[in-house]
Amino acid sequence: MATLDLDWEEVRDQLRAWREDNTRHSEEVVDTWEHCLKHYKTKLGDERWMVEEQVFVAGLDCNRLDIADPCLMALNEQFPGSLRVRKLRAMRFEALEKFDEAMEVYDNIIRQDETNSTARKRKVAVLRGQGRITDAIKELTEYLKLFMSDSEAWQELCDLYLKEGDYSKAAFCMEELILSNPHNHLFHTRYAEIKYTQGGLDNMEIARSYFCQAAKLNPGNVRALYGLFMSCTQVLSSPKLSAQKKKETQQLATWALKEVSERYSRCRTNTMDGSKILETLGALSITDKA
Amino acid sequence: MAELLLDSDIRIWVFLPIVLITFLCGILRHYVSVLISTQKKVDLTQLQDSQAMIRARMLRENCKYIPEQSFLMRRHFFNNDDSGYLKTVKRTAASQHITDPNMMVEMLKGQLTNMLPMIAIGGWINWTFSGFVTTKVPFPLTLRFKPMLQRGIELVSLDASWVSSASWYFLNVFGLRSIYTLVLGENNAADQARIMEEQMSGAAMAMPQDPKAAFKAEWEALEIAEHRWALKDVESDLLQKAEVEWSGSGQSYGATS
Repeated sequence: MATLDLDWEEVRDQLRAWREDNTRHSEEVVDTWEHCLKHYKTKLGDERWMVEEQVFVAGLDCNRLDIADPCLMALNEQFPGSLRVRKLRAMRFEALEKFDEAMEVYDNIIRQDETNSTARKRKVAVLRGQGRITDAIKELTEYLKLFMSDSEAWQELCDLYLKEGDYSKAAFCMEELILSNPHNHLFHTRYAEIKYTQGGLDNMEIARSYFCQAAKLNPGNVRALYGLFMSCTQVLSSPKLSAQKKKETQQLATWALKEVSERYSRCRTNTMDGSKILETLGALSITDKA
Repeated sequence: MAELLLDSDIRIWVFLPIVLITFLCGILRHYVSVLISTQKKVDLTQLQDSQAMIRARMLRENCKYIPEQSFLMRRHFFNNDDSGYLKTVKRTAASQHITDPNMMVEMLKGQLTNMLPMIAIGGWINWTFSGFVTTKVPFPLTLRFKPMLQRGIELVSLDASWVSSASWYFLNVFGLRSIYTLVLGENNAADQARIMEEQMSGAAMAMPQDPKAAFKAEWEALEIAEHRWALKDVESDLLQKAEVEWSGSGQSYGATS
């Protein structure tokens, strides 16, 4: 492993950056912990406990209980009776698929501290992990009644509704996300896609507008451009369109098509290999930060 | 005027002790306040209210980015006379907040760790080290600085850049902030200046928020909010921009060929 001779301060800063961005990078975290940071625990100072928590979660993600357990032990010793550590213990139950025990711990936490949002969210995650989507939706809507402006929860709810195929409700959640961050082109793209899937002339026109907005916010959003072309052709196929609108839509479709094909030809000339294409597609996934 | 020469004993027995005392007191205060402070319990209904308020405000500010139908739906949720959130949720008036014993204890603790030591130590320093000229700032100052820098010494002829012991104490109290952050980390309780700021603005903050009044204000604001869809002209905008680009790139192609 190349991480053997890493500078521990660099690793610490990297882990801190991931923590702040809320990105997991579980495998990297486990690797760096195992090969480097583990030997510098004492040098981390107060940050050590945050790192141990991060490594614990990463260890669960990678099913490396041999890494996770010592961290939990250390945390438990340092903060006996802490709700946050208890939540971690419940997460361990989850990782072992002992869902009932995990639920019980979360319920206990909520009973002790009503305002604990992470425990409530974990409960939704447990239900989702068990594949009980409808129950998860119910739990999450209860949560959102209390924590209305939690955009992360709205995003999760949108996802769950999409899994259930309930597009109008998913669209509602997406609107909520657009309200909370109107300059994120990924939200606009996703909203347009949902509207496009719903079908009908009205929805199609809304989809077209939102694809336009996404393409305007980020001209490099190929997904939006392609969606724009698709929605324009759909709108054109409707017989109820006025002549002037028809012309404009036609123009838009040609423009979008031209943009997309231009991009493709540029990619081809740049001798793009497969990995890079994947990277570009990954950059358009909605979970990424815009 | 002849240059003043300070006894080096003043440095050892007045100047440095004051620095040391204020610094150690800050550290002590930090740990005492950590020891006696309790975690603030947030009320669930309070949290729900504030979240609802945030959501209503976001709706008001960014409503132009969602279709009109969706906006009206959300406004109905908040503002409907029979079932709207801002209308139906009844919150008790906030007056119970002041008599809340927890609140009083909190305030007392704050006073105990902040004001009392400050008065006690300030008084003691004033009494023990009164009347010394301790140091000199390395730049000339106007006469107006005299009351600030020469507290306790009323000498008309003394140059304004000399600092008296009492003033040196106050300079330390307010000037050690970055040293504390260095030693104790961010957001420590030793920082006197921050506490003073809090007490200044405290009057506004500690005023218990009356959810009823806040809801009413938000209801009014939402009621008059107008929905202007920002995406109405986005298609033609995009086309126009594209046309400009086309003509621009066409010209550049022409220039290169």
